Amino acid sequence: MSAFSPAGLLALSGGLLAIGLFGILTRRNFILLLISVEIAINAAVLNFVYFAAFSGSASALSGQAIAVVLIGLAATEVAVGLAIVLALNRLRGSINVAEANALKS
Amino acid sequence: MNLLDFLPELLLLAGALLVFLLDVLGVKRLEVFGGIAAAVTALGELVVIGDLGYAPLHALSTIPASAIDQPLGPTLYAFTSLGLVFQAIFLLTAFLVALASLSRPSHEPGAAVFFGLLLLATLGMLLVAVASDLIFLLLAIEVTSLSTYLLVAYPRKEPRPVEAAMKFFIIGALSTALSFFGASLLFGAYGGTSFYALGAATGYVGYPYLATVGYALLIAGLGFKVTAVPFHAWAVDVYDGAPDDVSAFLAGGSKKMGVFAFFLVFLGPLLLAERMPSALPSGFGPSLQITLGVLAVLTMTVGNLLALRQKEMKRMLAYSSISQAGYMLIGVAVGTGPAIAGATFQVFAHLFMKTGAFLVVGAAASIGVGPLIDDWRGLGNRRPSLGVPFALMLLSLAGIPLTVGFVSKFVLFSAAVQAQGYFVWLAVAGLLNSALSVFYYARVLKVMFLEPSPASAGVGATGSGRFGGIGAGRAGAILLATVAIVALGIYPGPVISGIQLAATHFLQIGA
Repeated sequence: MSAFSPAGLLALSGGLLAIGLFGILTRRNFILLLISVEIAINAAVLNFVYFAAFSGSASALSGQAIAVVLIGLAATEVAVGLAIVLALNRLRGSINVAEANALKS
Repeated sequence: MNLLDFLPELLLLAGALLVFLLDVLGVKRLEVFGGIAAAVTALGELVVIGDLGYAPLHALSTIPASAIDQPLGPTLYAFTSLGLVFQAIFLLTAFLVALASLSRPSHEPGAAVFFGLLLLATLGMLLVAVASDLIFLLLAIEVTSLSTYLLVAYPRKEPRPVEAAMKFFIIGALSTALSFFGASLLFGAYGGTSFYALGAATGYVGYPYLATVGYALLIAGLGFKVTAVPFHAWAVDVYDGAPDDVSAFLAGGSKKMGVFAFFLVFLGPLLLAERMPSALPSGFGPSLQITLGVLAVLTMTVGNLLALRQKEMKRMLAYSSISQAGYMLIGVAVGTGPAIAGATFQVFAHLFMKTGAFLVVGAAASIGVGPLIDDWRGLGNRRPSLGVPFALMLLSLAGIPLTVGFVSKFVLFSAAVQAQGYFVWLAVAGLLNSALSVFYYARVLKVMFLEPSPASAGVGATGSGRFGGIGAGRAGAILLATVAIVALGIYPGPVISGIQLAATHFLQIGA
């Protein structure tokens, strides 16, 4: 319960989130897009670790545990993404997101 | 903790593992996998109904009645009767889809992947329904999301499903990142992630503005899951590109999971705003309600307006599904017992209407009907066994009396009127939208029944084989959905009172 200012941390993790979201929305290469996903999820991991360190002892452990779980989650997410990239690459010979346009409104 | 409390979940897990194991062992028959999937979902459904207190199935129930609807504590999971109602809805959706999919070709590649992932996705939904911790909830949503990304792409030799999976994955990853970042901010504000800690602010740390940003990010993250406008754009491409049975599952199941997640996440802070004002910025409760209300109106209006101009059947159904999500969000925005009951009943009705409609589309495709609405010309006269169920589903979606869709909208909108204030406007918006939606449903009815069949119809393999080439499983699933639409439309009393009771309990245990 120490008096801490989360402003610096939030600038850092918010910046990471922004970079990740920007990458997810603008990257045309699926692999770079997956890396952006990883960055965005890690912004949340960073928050959990930081808040765990500064809040009371009861939540310190749970915050760190959540961080570990989230790292696992990010890896799972990327594994599924890679499976989709593989299927896409076999079909088109390209992992460019913008070239996939079989579905039109 | 008693492991048997999770009997439906364990059944699904065992079923999924059995399917994958049999696939590795070389059993490549779709009937076997589909049979397992249909059996475990049906059995799970019976267990859940038993847990809900339905006397004839009491022998199957595993959760003691004393463990249901207990006051909320700092736990990971809690059994609520409303959660069990949603579990029943999820299992029924999965059962209908598994039953219908039994009719696909016996040696279809990827059958084990389809049924195994179907069970795993349903498992995630069941866990969402018992969550009482934000991280538990988001991880359960992830179980479903990761399964459904792959489920969409299971015909991995075809470009359209794989591309739909790619879009689904990109948007899903975005929503995951936003949700977890929001959760991390709430953790920072309240020092815990259980709904108990969030709702009662037990470990209150400070920084109420963190909570505001956190809840805003959660609205965006979960908004993608319920396809709320402006987070809806992915849904149409995914429902369109996915195999028909997967679209049926996504529209009937994974969206409903998002609706229940909205209940869990946003009803707590509304109560908190009254109980412990210092934990939230002033005016937080009303502004959250206004945000959710605006989201609901936007979702139903945009969904309906875009549905009007669709030429393809699946895209029209996808937009109509978005507008239906708008009606459900009314229940979250109003947040009273009757409104929650109305939204839950709407979810229940939507299961039969929309899952059924996508299954009929799949049946039509299997007898050679094309993807355009114009390809359905004369189908109602040519094949009344498909045309009449589909007509009933569309009438129910439009909210015509004597169908379940009318009852659910009536319950929901009257709850919004009862709540008074500006909630009345939500009901008005809902009514106007229902009227608007009649146009595009009626257009399909006109095409199906009043226009002559195209000259090419009946060429191809139409009408051959058992059940007119549709297959017994699919015919059974469509029949079940149709009977439910009419039966619940005429005699909805017991189901409604059950859901209303569950919703009342849900608010009482609320944080």
